[in-house]
Amino acid sequence: MRHPVNIPTPASFSREHIQTVGDMFVENARIQCRNVDVFYGEKHAIQDVSLDIGRNEVIALIGPSGCGKSTFLRCLNRMNDTIPGCRISGEIKLDGLDIYANGLDVVPLRAQVGMVFQKPNPFPKSIFENVAYGPRIHGLAANKLELEEIVEKSLRRAGLWDEVKEYLHHPGTGLSGGQQQRLCIARTIAVSPEVILMDEPCSALDPIATAKIEQLIDDLREHYTIAIVTHSMQQAARVSQRTAYFHLGKVIEVGDTALIFTNPRHQLTEDYITGRFG
Amino acid sequence: MQKSTLLLLLLLISAYAFHLGRKRARDIVLGKVKTLHSLPNYYGYYTALWSLLPALLLLILWLGFETPVINHMVMESLPDGSQALSADIKGLLINDIRNSMNAGGSDTKPELQAAVEFLRLLKIRSGWLLSFLAVALAFVGAYFARSRIHKEHRARNLVENTIMSFLLGSSLIAILTTVGIVLSVLFESIRFFDKIPLTDFLFGLQWSPQIAMRSDQVASSGAFGAVPLFTGTLLISSIALVVAVPIGLMSAIYLAEYASLKFRSVAKPLLEILAGIPTVVYGFFAALTVAPFIRSMGADFGLDVSSESALAAGLVMGIMIIPFVSSLSDDFINAVPQSLRDGAYALGATQSETIRQVVIPAALPGIVGGILLAASRAIGETMIVVMAAGLAANLTANPLEAVTTVTTQIVTLLVGDQEFDSPKTLAAFALGLVLFLATLALNILALHIVRKYREQYE
Repeated sequence: MRHPVNIPTPASFSREHIQTVGDMFVENARIQCRNVDVFYGEKHAIQDVSLDIGRNEVIALIGPSGCGKSTFLRCLNRMNDTIPGCRISGEIKLDGLDIYANGLDVVPLRAQVGMVFQKPNPFPKSIFENVAYGPRIHGLAANKLELEEIVEKSLRRAGLWDEVKEYLHHPGTGLSGGQQQRLCIARTIAVSPEVILMDEPCSALDPIATAKIEQLIDDLREHYTIAIVTHSMQQAARVSQRTAYFHLGKVIEVGDTALIFTNPRHQLTEDYITGRFG
Repeated sequence: MQKSTLLLLLLLISAYAFHLGRKRARDIVLGKVKTLHSLPNYYGYYTALWSLLPALLLLILWLGFETPVINHMVMESLPDGSQALSADIKGLLINDIRNSMNAGGSDTKPELQAAVEFLRLLKIRSGWLLSFLAVALAFVGAYFARSRIHKEHRARNLVENTIMSFLLGSSLIAILTTVGIVLSVLFESIRFFDKIPLTDFLFGLQWSPQIAMRSDQVASSGAFGAVPLFTGTLLISSIALVVAVPIGLMSAIYLAEYASLKFRSVAKPLLEILAGIPTVVYGFFAALTVAPFIRSMGADFGLDVSSESALAAGLVMGIMIIPFVSSLSDDFINAVPQSLRDGAYALGATQSETIRQVVIPAALPGIVGGILLAASRAIGETMIVVMAAGLAANLTANPLEAVTTVTTQIVTLLVGDQEFDSPKTLAAFALGLVLFLATLALNILALHIVRKYREQYE
């Protein structure tokens, strides 16, 4: 007897329900966020978000434009500190330590929580210097040989080594868009972070470059925890294990990616993934 | 008729022509503007241009040729005896006649009376003839254009092409002026180099351009070795850059990266006011405040500082060019994309590491361009040096002594009554040429660097 597994059950939570639905919390989480609110001046950009990010998992943050997913991502390594007028309340813990605690130094935090941006932003330096920049400022290499090792390892992990090993001293800005983005990923992993935040890393890339980056994200999961903001639901489905749906500054639904895309429990999530909204 | 009245009249006629053309275009299509090739206003402009431009061209040509033609006619009218005179005497004669006419004829020499009257008559006739022709041409143009208007007539294209020619002409004026200046300086310089060999000028170590009136005076022959001037210019400009580059750059970094919005909005305009202070005022400051201060400071250290020193002029000039360095550097630092800063911050770089290792290297070509522009400004500066550094052409690298610069010498060479065939006066043009070439080279280099930088981030 065959069960009709592909027919989704109707969403059980109406559009008016604004509490987060699903499994926000995981055991042994790497990052724990509790009741996080973010204000830009008067604007309440993130409202009461509680969410865990587990070890060695890829979590996709999806949602319509302006829903606060990038803002939330930038809270996790305190990149919002550079934006004037931005206030954050609530609690965010990395491995049990509050990253907004008084007197916490953001430099080691950002070395632990790396970030890849929407547009590739290599420094106007050589490919080698781009990757070596992080290890240099954190003093990770005792000598030139070690530094070269780190650069090679990072470029290999980012899947770029074979393409650039002959041109290490050419400018990083001369690479193609997809190569630049992988260079930025290599630059990020060169400081051996534990978490990598990716803010729509493929939105400026063509499908082939996108496929390479997605493959790379899958490979990186072995060593890192990854949070990725994406506008592409196919991408979220391909690369992530858990998915969080953001709507107007709130987390509406969190859960296993497979479940969210086949059987959303909240009406708003269903509207979004079926293309009725957003 | 006065020329200004005529001009006004021509403008009125062209305004009428505008109306005429627009109305004609509307009438042709019986008010269905949509079927016209261009909007009715374009037919108006087309007619107005046809009415105004030929008349204006006539006016300009007439004004250009009126004087020589009338002069020629007056000379022709003189008795046979005067025809044989040389060109110089003829020139004097015609001037005499013109002056008598302008003076109202009260003290006219009797033998010129007839010529003065003739000149007066010619001028009046020429004025009326011009007015008549110009007005007629304006109307002819207007009606000619009106007759050409039909439904398919491409008035918009024609008007826009005419406007484009005006724009082209305007940009050519600036270029042609530059070319004219270069050529005039160049020809005078060539005359100078006829008298003084180029090598003596460029490599000579003695500068004393005063040429004696009589041969038995001391220093009867001038010496035109410009090396002391070049070194003086170099010395003062270097002092100025040593002052301006660090201060300007550091203030730019503070303003662009650290300052609060409020502080920046106050400090940046204030800094730019520095650029608006007349250089003469800087000169006072240098001569009356800074130079005596340096002198007394030097005395405290047991140094003998002359009251006019390169140091005083260089310091004040450095302050003067701070805004160039800081304002341009600030612009270029701001032009470094925020994404580069974010990239560095996300790797755990501190703000100062980000600025030193990412932002400044990225903005460096622009900053260098700004510094070169400031340097060319410093090299061309005159007033501060005249007032604070003196006129003594010492060949020295000691900033505590008086030196002089190329620009200062040009001023002193040309001040007062001058004869334009002595090497002393012509030397000014040769110096000007050298200065021009030097600043031109610096500017081209600066613009080249700045442009290269722009391409990187587009």
